[in-house]
Amino acid sequence: MGEVMKHTISVLVENHFGVLARVSGLFSARGYNIDSLCVGETEDTTISRMTVVVQGDDRVLQQIINQLNKLVDVIDVIDLTKDVFIDRELVMIKIGAANSQRSEVIEVASIFRAKTVDLGAAAMTVEVTGSEGKVNAFIDMMRPFGIQELVRTGKVAIARSPK
Amino acid sequence: MKRATEKRPKHPLAGKSMTGADMILQVLADEGVDTIFGYSGGAILPTYDAVFRYNQEHPKKQVRLIVPANEQGACFMAAGYARASGRVGMCIVTSGPGATNCVTPIRDCMADSIPVVLITGQVPRQAIGSDAFQEAPVFSVMSACAKHVFLVSNEKELEATVRTAFAIARSGRPGPVVIDVPKDVQNYLGEFQGDGYLRFRGYEKRQAALSASRVTKESAASFFKMLAHSKRPLIYAGGGVINSNASQELRTFSKRFGIPVVTTLMGIGAMDTSSDLCLNMLGMHGTAYANYAVEDCDFLITVGARFDDRVAGKPAEFAPNARNIAHIDIDAAEIGKVKSVTWAHTGDAKIALQDLLHAGKNFAGDFSPWLRHAQNLKKKHALNYKKTGDLLQPQEIIHQLSKLTKGRAIVTTGVGQHQMWAAQYSEFVEPRTWITSGSMGTMGFGLPAAIGAQCARPDAVVIDIDGDGSLRMNLGELETMTTNDIPVKVLLLNNLGDGMVRQWQNLYFGDRFSGSDKSMHKKDFVKAAEADGFTFARRLTGKSDVNAVLKAFIDHKGPAFLEVMIDPNAHVYPMVGPGLSYKDMITGEYITPRADDETPVHDKTEVPASAMF
Repeated sequence: MGEVMKHTISVLVENHFGVLARVSGLFSARGYNIDSLCVGETEDTTISRMTVVVQGDDRVLQQIINQLNKLVDVIDVIDLTKDVFIDRELVMIKIGAANSQRSEVIEVASIFRAKTVDLGAAAMTVEVTGSEGKVNAFIDMMRPFGIQELVRTGKVAIARSPK
Repeated sequence: MKRATEKRPKHPLAGKSMTGADMILQVLADEGVDTIFGYSGGAILPTYDAVFRYNQEHPKKQVRLIVPANEQGACFMAAGYARASGRVGMCIVTSGPGATNCVTPIRDCMADSIPVVLITGQVPRQAIGSDAFQEAPVFSVMSACAKHVFLVSNEKELEATVRTAFAIARSGRPGPVVIDVPKDVQNYLGEFQGDGYLRFRGYEKRQAALSASRVTKESAASFFKMLAHSKRPLIYAGGGVINSNASQELRTFSKRFGIPVVTTLMGIGAMDTSSDLCLNMLGMHGTAYANYAVEDCDFLITVGARFDDRVAGKPAEFAPNARNIAHIDIDAAEIGKVKSVTWAHTGDAKIALQDLLHAGKNFAGDFSPWLRHAQNLKKKHALNYKKTGDLLQPQEIIHQLSKLTKGRAIVTTGVGQHQMWAAQYSEFVEPRTWITSGSMGTMGFGLPAAIGAQCARPDAVVIDIDGDGSLRMNLGELETMTTNDIPVKVLLLNNLGDGMVRQWQNLYFGDRFSGSDKSMHKKDFVKAAEADGFTFARRLTGKSDVNAVLKAFIDHKGPAFLEVMIDPNAHVYPMVGPGLSYKDMITGEYITPRADDETPVHDKTEVPASAMF
């Protein structure tokens, strides 16, 4: 059986109408939980890549991969977690920081190599890209300043090239 | 799927200008469609017009059009056609309600791996999403049910889409494919190509791998090592054997090595049911001897079956003495899904069995003591039922009918007690003669499926063994039979209610027959059949002349209807309760349980309804 683990799965699909609905429908129909799902075109515009983060033990994961492989639109399914891979997520946080706190926000942000992308009279927005751990740590650091809104993309991932 | 690069003669109509609807018809004709089941309507009118014109222009190559009372009926007819023939069943309906009426049969086909292609009309492209008249989100709805769905948004892809749909429906693990065609796409005028498929790189690759999949030498060696270590091997064969047309290989395999076979509900007919090697159906309402054999076997050889909950109610305790379990399936996702196995092969059952037969040429194992044991079980724990009293017993009727047809009739059913009795008490000599809604368990399946089967096999005697509940669900199709002179024999086993539901209410719900008692219903089925034009419509109420009436019924030229008033208290036994293992099987009053194995006494304590499924 194995323990319940988070898996990052890369699903290459034909860039057809309704593919996203079929893939997400499969997860809901079979009761698998999706932590995040990201989709976009690849270097070949006829192929899209979905990066899906799911949780499950070995058996559930194998079922997810097998069931995805049954979808006619699916070209390939790769469990990135089996090997070394790089994942990134982007988050934008709108902070209602008072003028006096802004420099402090920018200071923390610079440690995370986050960028200030919008500055208004009552709020500022910072953007950070990184692994899940880094993004979560950054969100925690921003919390005391007063987060007004937060948006994250979900993970995209790619396998590391062999050394 | 065939690739465009293959050298094939040019289509005689290639380059001809025609409408989308005409292209659809031409591709259907190219794919060998001889019967379309369907119902017209606004958004599919151009295609129905094309059917009419096609038949006008091809007096010698007519495409038969069977119009049902309800689209659900049409789609089940296509399913019955596919099940009886192994060819792709074809159904064409209109948008909106026409399409949504087909959701149940499409899901039914998916659950039982039946190849059908359904074309649904859709509102014109510019109206999609506007809540237009008779608009329904067919793509979304069918996505959740079908093997694949197309919405033809680019008219230039229409022709290739229809061709591709057939290829997908019949390849790999077969299934239903839906094509949603906007009305303006049916009306567009374009050049017919006569060739070409849509590309599905992953699917094509996987199909190519499946087609090339062979049992390797090493794998076969490990299989025969398991077999050599086994004293009590048992084959567990399912619908996959029927789908891959592997019955002959299965029979040869079983005979060559002397291994008995149990079949699932979907696998009935894979073996000649009267053969000594066939232990008949296993599972919830399987024969006691099949289930005992599963309990006893030490090597379970699974072919095209999937350990579903009606077979393995408690997977951990299924085949508890099997040291090895082998699994051959065309669907990789089925291997290890429910039960872990020790040997597996993903591929076509027919080829896999041929490979194993070849690899086992010199295998010298002898399982005759075990075979004797199995045949002993078959004798000692045979099916049995109430033989006394004045009431007609359903098992007796089915048994007599099967004797009259010598096991060569095509039998379709609804869902419930009558379905299980038909599975238990009919003999089947050939595959594709037992046609039932297995996984979905759709009541109302029998009547339309029988019409479809008869269209596929005009030579065969086709009998719909139905129940009063199931028959009511698609009763309108009685008229379809007489209108089209489809000589199906409809045998209604009437027990004035939903018998299987009643059986469960009796066992688990303290005899509270909520919603299942129909003794106050007013329907006179014989009059209904007469009103629909049946010239043979009779009712049997007593035990005299059963055989003569059954014979007249079968021998009647043309559609025939026979209602048999059966004992409303007849139950289906054996029974393995839901979620239980075979050791908890109850055999009822008339079947002898195993004496050497303490049979748990069935008490009527209530099981919480939440434990049911």
